[in-house]
Amino acid sequence: MKTVVSVSLGSSSRDHTAEVEWLGQRLSISRRGTDGDFKRAVQVLQELDGRVDAIGLGGIDVYLYVGGKRYVIGDGLKLLQAVKQTPVVDGSGVKNTLERDAVRHLARAGLLTPSTRVLLVSSLDRFGMAEAMVEMGCDVTFGDLIFTLGVDYPIKTLAEVEELAEKYKSRMEKLPFTFFYPTGSQQDKAPTVNPAFARYYGEADVVAGDFHFVRKFMPEAMTGKTVLTQTTTAADVEMMRRRGVKTLITTTPVLGGRSFATNVIEAALVALSGHGRADVSPEEYQDLIRRLELRPTIQSLNP
Amino acid sequence: MATAEELKASLMDFEENYNANPKLKTMNRDWNRKVRVKATDVEVEYGLDLKDGVVRFLEQPPAEPDLVVASDGETLTSMFYGEVSPSEPYMDGTLKVTGSEEDLIRLDFVTAMIWG
Repeated sequence: MKTVVSVSLGSSSRDHTAEVEWLGQRLSISRRGTDGDFKRAVQVLQELDGRVDAIGLGGIDVYLYVGGKRYVIGDGLKLLQAVKQTPVVDGSGVKNTLERDAVRHLARAGLLTPSTRVLLVSSLDRFGMAEAMVEMGCDVTFGDLIFTLGVDYPIKTLAEVEELAEKYKSRMEKLPFTFFYPTGSQQDKAPTVNPAFARYYGEADVVAGDFHFVRKFMPEAMTGKTVLTQTTTAADVEMMRRRGVKTLITTTPVLGGRSFATNVIEAALVALSGHGRADVSPEEYQDLIRRLELRPTIQSLNP
Repeated sequence: MATAEELKASLMDFEENYNANPKLKTMNRDWNRKVRVKATDVEVEYGLDLKDGVVRFLEQPPAEPDLVVASDGETLTSMFYGEVSPSEPYMDGTLKVTGSEEDLIRLDFVTAMIWG
């Protein structure tokens, strides 16, 4: 049995374990949240180093791929560098393939059309999804400034997203990740009531992207909306059901009752590849995803 | 060491660059804050009034500021000329902030949008 562990800066209340058999190999997949404690995350990573087959970094990115450029998240890089032997990944490789493919799959299924209005809560961390939606002709609102910094400014073009990444790159490298992203117990908080930001949900047919941002300002009235995300627990699903979400689509497969994050899936693919290193090519990821038939999971919450 | 006049010049430069940026004015149209800028070594205080997307330099610091940023004149001058981001001296303790961390991050964002 191969062992894959995701070490997350997120809340330990979201920890989960599952066993799967993929391509004839048994995998034990688990998540270990460190409640936003950066030092503890480093400690756990060092304990696991050399003892498991692959590690995923959760609740943080290491690299952002935006408009053909790679940007580094300083705190993410520090975590990555704490691991010396075991392959460690942040999910960005899978995001760029799995999520791009997921959008195309949903288009073929008629769930995304050129007239669909999408609120993509953050695009810097999933530029592949953003590009795929724009290519399809969806009317996309990029919520990066709204959800990361609380700036009421909807971005409407990929060029503006690229401009933002370029202007903000030194901050991404130097500032604590907690400035931009909810970690630890912040992930357990109920959605914040914010009428100014709630209106962007109201204007959208589909709310997509990182689940912690998706729920950050989620209004009570989500009737008829589709949510396209990942990393949802049973409690998250129930919260969305109560608010009237019609369809929940997770880009990653549901394992043992919940969808894991892309870093977990990427780490599992790395373990399956058997290279013993993290630099799996996009083509290899594509091949593994195709062979595993990984497709979005579509759940009807309020038929 | 920056003088009081140099700090004042940097704040006026910040005011000019901010107000010349229409996108920034739109982004901050609802961020109304009074900021007191306090140089601890040259013992001078100025202010910034951000209201309805426009910033105004204040020769006299606001009596009831939402945010107070205090540091040596050199650090403050560098901040408002965009040579360092406000978060950097804040993280290493050189810049003291009274107010919310969110407002400091917002100020940092503003300087990033002006100077990159």
